[in-house]
Amino acid sequence: MRVARVGPGAPLLLLALLVLPVFLDLYTAHVAVLILLFVIVAIGLSLVMGFGGQVNLAQAAFFGTGAYASAILTTAYGWNPWLAAPVAVLATCLMALVVGLPALRVQSHYLGIVSLGLAVAVANLLTNAGFTGGASGISKIPPLPFPGVDLTDDYNDYYLVLAVLVVLVALARLIAGTTLGRRLKAMRDDTVAAAASGIEIPYYRLLAFLLGGLFAGVAGVLYAHLVRYVSPDTFGLDTMFLLLAMVIIGGQDSIWGAAVGAALLIAARNLLAGLETYQQLAYGALIVATVVFAPRGLAGLAAAARRRLAWPWPSLPIPVPSRGSAVPAAPDPPTPFPTPASAVALRVEEVSKRFRGLTALSQVSLEVPVGEIHGIIGPNGSGKTTLFNVISGVDRPGGGRVRLHGRDVTGRRAYQMSRLGVARTFQNLRLFHRLTVLENVMVALDRDPARAHLRYLVAPWTVLARERRRRERALGLLAEFRLEEVADEPAASLPYGRQRQVEIARALAGRPSLLLLDEPAAGLNAAEQEELKAVVRRIREAGVTVVVIEHNMGLVMSLCERLTVLAHGRVIASGTPAEVAGDARVIEAYLGREARDREAARP
Amino acid sequence: MTWVLQTAIGGLSTGAVYALVAMGFSIVYRTMGLVNFAHADVVMIGAYVTVTFFLGARLPFGLSLLAAILVTGALGVAMERVLRPLESRDLNLMLIGTIGFGIVLESVAILIWGSFGTAVPTPIPNLPLRVGGLVVTTYQLLILAVAAVVTALLFWFLDRTKLGTAMQAVAMDRIAATAMGVDVAASNALAFAIGSGMAAVAGALVGPLLYVSPGMGASIGIKGFAAAILGGFGSIPGAIVGGLVFGLIEAFSSGPLSAYSDLITFVVFALAMSVRQTGIFGERTVDRA
Repeated sequence: MRVARVGPGAPLLLLALLVLPVFLDLYTAHVAVLILLFVIVAIGLSLVMGFGGQVNLAQAAFFGTGAYASAILTTAYGWNPWLAAPVAVLATCLMALVVGLPALRVQSHYLGIVSLGLAVAVANLLTNAGFTGGASGISKIPPLPFPGVDLTDDYNDYYLVLAVLVVLVALARLIAGTTLGRRLKAMRDDTVAAAASGIEIPYYRLLAFLLGGLFAGVAGVLYAHLVRYVSPDTFGLDTMFLLLAMVIIGGQDSIWGAAVGAALLIAARNLLAGLETYQQLAYGALIVATVVFAPRGLAGLAAAARRRLAWPWPSLPIPVPSRGSAVPAAPDPPTPFPTPASAVALRVEEVSKRFRGLTALSQVSLEVPVGEIHGIIGPNGSGKTTLFNVISGVDRPGGGRVRLHGRDVTGRRAYQMSRLGVARTFQNLRLFHRLTVLENVMVALDRDPARAHLRYLVAPWTVLARERRRRERALGLLAEFRLEEVADEPAASLPYGRQRQVEIARALAGRPSLLLLDEPAAGLNAAEQEELKAVVRRIREAGVTVVVIEHNMGLVMSLCERLTVLAHGRVIASGTPAEVAGDARVIEAYLGREARDREAARP
Repeated sequence: MTWVLQTAIGGLSTGAVYALVAMGFSIVYRTMGLVNFAHADVVMIGAYVTVTFFLGARLPFGLSLLAAILVTGALGVAMERVLRPLESRDLNLMLIGTIGFGIVLESVAILIWGSFGTAVPTPIPNLPLRVGGLVVTTYQLLILAVAAVVTALLFWFLDRTKLGTAMQAVAMDRIAATAMGVDVAASNALAFAIGSGMAAVAGALVGPLLYVSPGMGASIGIKGFAAAILGGFGSIPGAIVGGLVFGLIEAFSSGPLSAYSDLITFVVFALAMSVRQTGIFGERTVDRA
């Protein structure tokens, strides 16, 4: 038996929501239904924007798509509402994917404009087209038929929406706390590092939009059949800005935050009727104040207060049956490193790369045998990091080939290279700064293909089991770096040297066969440098080939077995550290012609 | 043929207004890499302030416009100042902050001027002039002339003055610009002020063509965005070309299509984006890598 501790918050809240209608009159019950519907839409927006980092100003238009699709199918075509509902949700998801398509190629601010454009276009269409009923909208939408329950009654509606909401909140919380949510947040924090950790960025951007569309579509369908009247005003820009305010004020990357924000603003809108303009002024000002002073919204403030007060939340121990034995679930057996098909781990053949007029790499070739620690040195601007970018798939080479264990991998993308066993660190630390140390490592440790996310719909409980095993493995890896006591700290709060360690741990988490370290010793003190050397040697002992860019000559000379020297994008020398150190071209590149002559003149 | 030319004249004068809006977006974007979502509402405020001085205080149109430019310029500086702490931290949050400002400006406009719009007379007698077989109105000529003068001033400022050159330097490389003694924050504030001032000109000119109302920003804003992106976001010549293109598209989508101008704008712009994401003249922005 394992024991899980469950806080009283969620069950108490649910209990309160179940008895709430007893205290509500007909009008406030109707408001309560609207609140629950907007909570669903707002959670969808929080998943796209807060978790996925994709600016989405079309969420109200998605909401409207679901509502109008179901309204038109049932009124104009006489469909049964239960048949129209799934079709309308599907239509909304499709719409979300269409808006998300530009996200495959463009940056987030473009996405803001594209999605705002769609929102204005949809409002334009709804107000003018014949089939949407124009400005007067569609009325007399049939209620959802339900044997024995009258769904034109606001009290019954309340319980229907509450049931749907509970399911969707559970789904959103599951996503937020596990692999899918973590990948979305990693993408939000640092796209390049996320791709280098094996995350297929375009796919996850679309997935973020799909989630937003799904939540908005479900809420839209419910809105159409419970309110039974749709008009363009409900889904226009005003609603969009209200939704944005809910999510920003509540806290972008918190499911509870979005829910609280939605509840507050919809309650205010309906209970302070007649003061709409002042409300608009207030929430506009609150958006500005929140982004400037409390970027993580109410949820962030609550978390900070709870940390400061250290309020002992009572919690109940709940026994959880674990399958079979009482032994804790064994971690996954370590997958063996891909057996090298050739003795050469990495072969770079005449690779070139130009940026506009600048030649960063020109005909660079090098070869690294399996199990070697290979150094790449050269003056600043000699193309070292560009070479890493080409090898790890961040940049595509202009010419030449890259082979990994004999296999041609030229031009593969960063996430593909990661999955082929190439891991890297970055010259200017690229941690997922809002994730904890543990989560940083778990992102890279998680090698599930994207299609594995179907589990969320088919078998959600297996997500948790896999998550637990992944967590144990990540903690094990952190222990090797003596980082376990900071596992739950935000990565950005660690001192610089430790952040470097986290980045190396993250790179190793993906079980690479080739590790690229870009200036790992930069900013480390002498003791930390010694530790780094020991770590790199241990990594090599485990069978990983290591290529390291480093300026610290003492470290390079004592750590690397062979070196490649770059200058002006060309290889000017290669060999053992001793050979390279005596090479006239290397001395010239580093110290200039005079130094070379002086060196040569020495007896 | 006459019909085509006649429609094109109307399209060009509306297009000139969109070009002014697009240039306002672009001047901020090229300097800081930020999309100012409050810009469309600044256009609306500019339109209202002009109308208030012109009709309410009965000042000459030119003076009313000048007052509007001063008011919106100050607004621009204020917005930049409030959001400045985010500039180096999180540009996405800053973008959301500008949306917040847009919401505030719209509600303030409703509180001051009411939620219903006002029809605005043209500042000069709107006489039809016959040129060949075509009719050009004096107000259309005024719009084109003012837009041309403002554009020329902008080019002169960016290329010929020390401040303008400093702003271009920030756009190219903010770290190098800082090292050369350029005050980046001041330069950003100036970009906001200039962009907002141009918004006031656009708002003042478009007032008599449309209807001045607190909600007028959305439609003008999305056309300005679309124009800026079509031309190449951050590129001033691109903003001009993009603005004229959308003015012409709007003029030619007449008859039953005219109600759908926002939808058509979006479709054209989405198609253009999928063909060439960097726009006609390529994107110009500060390098934030």
